[in-house]
Amino acid sequence: MLARASFRLTPGLACVLLCLALVALAATSLNAETGLATGLQALFGDANLTMDALVLHFSWWPRLVMSLLAGGGLALAGVLMQQVLRNPLAAPTTLGVASGANLALMVATLLAPGLLGWGREWVALLGGGLSMALVFSLAWRRGLAPVIVVLGGLVVNLYLGALGIVLLLFHQEELKGLLIWGAGSLAQNDWGGVTFLAPRLLVGALVAWLLLRPLAVLELDDASARSLGVSLRALRLAGLGLAVFLTGCVVSVVGVIGFIGLAAPNIVRLAGARRLGQRLVWSTLLGALLLATTDQLLQRFTGQVSGLIPTGAVTAALGAPLLIWLIPRLRLRGDQPPGSATAPAGRHPAPGRLAAGLVLALAIVTVAALLAGQTAGGWSWLSPGNWDVLQWRLPRVLASAGCGVMLALAGTLIQRVTANPMASPEVLGISGGSAIALILAIFLLPSPNNLTLVGVGTLGAMASLAILIIFNGRSGLLPERLLLTGVAITAAFDAVRAIVLAGGDPRGQQVIAWLSGSTYYVDLTSALIVVALALALGLLTGPLARWLDILPLGASTSRALGIGLKRSRLLLLLLVALLTAAATLVVGPLSFVGLLAPHLARLLGFSRASMHLLGAALVGALLMVLADWVGRQLLFPQEIPAGIVASLLGGAYFMWGLRKL
Amino acid sequence: MLLSFGPVLRSTAYRRATLRGLAVSLLLGCLIVAPTALAASPRIATLDWTLAETLQALGTPPTAVAQVDAYHDWVGEPHLPDTVADLGLRTQPNLELLADLDPDQILISPMFANLRPRLSRIAPVKNFTLYTPGRDTWQEMRELTRSVADQVDRSQAGERLIASTETRIAELRDRLPEQVPPLLVIQFMDARHVRVFGDNGLYQAVLERLGLDNAWPGETNAWGFSLVGIEALANLDARLVVVEPYPAGVRETLDRSGLWQGLIQESRGEPLVLPPVWSFGALPSAQRFAEQLTAALEAPHAR
Repeated sequence: MLARASFRLTPGLACVLLCLALVALAATSLNAETGLATGLQALFGDANLTMDALVLHFSWWPRLVMSLLAGGGLALAGVLMQQVLRNPLAAPTTLGVASGANLALMVATLLAPGLLGWGREWVALLGGGLSMALVFSLAWRRGLAPVIVVLGGLVVNLYLGALGIVLLLFHQEELKGLLIWGAGSLAQNDWGGVTFLAPRLLVGALVAWLLLRPLAVLELDDASARSLGVSLRALRLAGLGLAVFLTGCVVSVVGVIGFIGLAAPNIVRLAGARRLGQRLVWSTLLGALLLATTDQLLQRFTGQVSGLIPTGAVTAALGAPLLIWLIPRLRLRGDQPPGSATAPAGRHPAPGRLAAGLVLALAIVTVAALLAGQTAGGWSWLSPGNWDVLQWRLPRVLASAGCGVMLALAGTLIQRVTANPMASPEVLGISGGSAIALILAIFLLPSPNNLTLVGVGTLGAMASLAILIIFNGRSGLLPERLLLTGVAITAAFDAVRAIVLAGGDPRGQQVIAWLSGSTYYVDLTSALIVVALALALGLLTGPLARWLDILPLGASTSRALGIGLKRSRLLLLLLVALLTAAATLVVGPLSFVGLLAPHLARLLGFSRASMHLLGAALVGALLMVLADWVGRQLLFPQEIPAGIVASLLGGAYFMWGLRKL
Repeated sequence: MLLSFGPVLRSTAYRRATLRGLAVSLLLGCLIVAPTALAASPRIATLDWTLAETLQALGTPPTAVAQVDAYHDWVGEPHLPDTVADLGLRTQPNLELLADLDPDQILISPMFANLRPRLSRIAPVKNFTLYTPGRDTWQEMRELTRSVADQVDRSQAGERLIASTETRIAELRDRLPEQVPPLLVIQFMDARHVRVFGDNGLYQAVLERLGLDNAWPGETNAWGFSLVGIEALANLDARLVVVEPYPAGVRETLDRSGLWQGLIQESRGEPLVLPPVWSFGALPSAQRFAEQLTAALEAPHAR
């Protein structure tokens, strides 16, 4: 016991250890390049340098400083986000800063390239700022309540991400450079980035210090905080605004760097830093050292590998297993008031009638999707017996309906079980796992056929499920931990995708197309299987509705009502996994219907679990069929993947609904 | 699948039969009127730009190509005729439209192999390979040209294209100034990263035929390039060759970059800047690159 205690990792100890490792790595690296003394001199002088020293001065040193700055800035932003949003899943990019910056850079590249010559950082910062303003305007009327901010951030992230993918699909060649930015490369070739970032981060850190005492109040629940005479809205605006500013500055210079902003605050808390002040200081230090050490290690050990190894994405990929290992050890704050699972919304007086209306709408859209469309000769209305054309349309319509139902059911289940609005089948990591497997298959196997791809994808989904169960079995499959594990797997997937795309391989377009939720590759057999599965699994969820009404009420209530927590969670998890895996293999992992449909159903007024499931399933099917049809017709002959259109259609409605609240 | 295949096969087979009947009667008519029209070329659809440029160079322009606008932006020459139909994205060509256009053959490259079952419901699909790692790229380009030419009954045009390209490149080789330093062919991805081209790529194949040295010592991927930060270009004792286009804003940023200015200082001669050439192309792109590189090396200021 004593021996154990003496080895206990404190935040300070972790930082000292990392710092030693960093200094050792940096020193050996300098020594190998030009010798330690010359290397240190290269930091200061730039006149009359040899080429070696020039590389050190303009590339090696700025890169080291940049990694420290970026890591520290992101970790600081992460602490602020998690504090204000009261959610350990919150990361610096939760409010859509990175996707806003990304979209702004893409649009500028395509429409106003002149802007980029004038200042790329400013374009990115402007994009990030606009997306933050959008999130804030969505949540403003509700006093920037955490759950609304998180939902708004999520939907803005989705929306801008979807727009970005559309641009990427159609302008792959023009935008290939931005894929490198998206993977977070720390490579530098002058001191410009550092001189841009350093003063801004310094200002940010000072403001954070000034906000320290008021922000600590946010650990109380809303009523107690208000009773202290604090304006919660102003406080949240300040906290989030600062976090977004820090993130925007970092992202605009080095691109998207995952993991640090999410993990550093959690590691520090795990190591025992409880008070906000401690967490801010130690997280910033740890984040800086973590990123810099990783980057040094990468530079050292990937010298022989051909091609670029983007630090941001690799950090995320390497960090994911660490995060998965950490989660069972993480003490989630039990003293926090639980947030509500979905945005509060009214209950429809007659949900049965509402559902009937949805069925009618689904029927109309299905007929339109089958019979109306463009061919080489322009718009035409098909006669129902024209199998020449229907052979292409029918599988897609069936598959989109089936997948819409399955993802919506999976989403409703997972959101109700975890009582977390950010939960969705995509977040749970099942689709992420199968996507990683598929990406690797596309790149490593010579011309794989579709059957191989399905097999590989299924294996990936099963591996994710196994990880979820193995690492969370001991804690009784606690929802928060499940989600965190899922987020880690999803982060690994994002990282693998970013690395693969950044490499500039022409097959990247195939990956983008498949990832973005397309019914393109469906044949009639698999479409029929999908529909049958959707119906069967849909019927299976019916008897589980009682659990779903009770589980969100909390563990003790559930136990008192005679529900075996672990057994019911395991069963629901298996069901979610099955639904997600089946849908993902057909339409790809990024359809987001599973996230949106349950929320949309709630906004429409479906409230009790059984009606919520039914409503979400109908909304999911409607959304996907409509999206698939619109996607095929809008830019004919180019096709926009259904998942993207669904995100855009559903996202727009969702934002409108949030504003009304 | 069984459900769908019967009627599909029957209907396309039926349509094909009527078409063939039509074609035969048309041909018979032509035989009487003008015997020269016999060599009517098949209607070809292709998803791959490299195949499209080869077809165009063979004088048998494809009927339908994927992403025609982007082809003209990135491949440019040879220009496709205005009548060519756009099939949509290369990775997801519009199947309804393709079926509607009813081509005689569909040509693809291994990148699109997973579409094969679907495409072969519309027309026979033929796969052509280029840039196989470990094989001589120039040899493969020749073979590709030959087999594409055979596929469209233009064997002689294929031989002519190979011969004219090789003769032209031999001419250019003789015109080159003496003692050209090793070259480092790069294309900017953003202000901090470049693709540097080497083994197994089009530029490398052309450099070899021109008898020039490539200074890049590192590995390259299956597409003949390696993505690196520009610091990796230091100490290579080479002349820089930048293939346009520069991404938006990159030129301005490079003017301020200390490292890039240092690399320019170190370059053996002012860096050459070449207009864009499709870096994954076949013989037509190869010849264009050779022309542009030679012209740039010959230019007086380049000395």
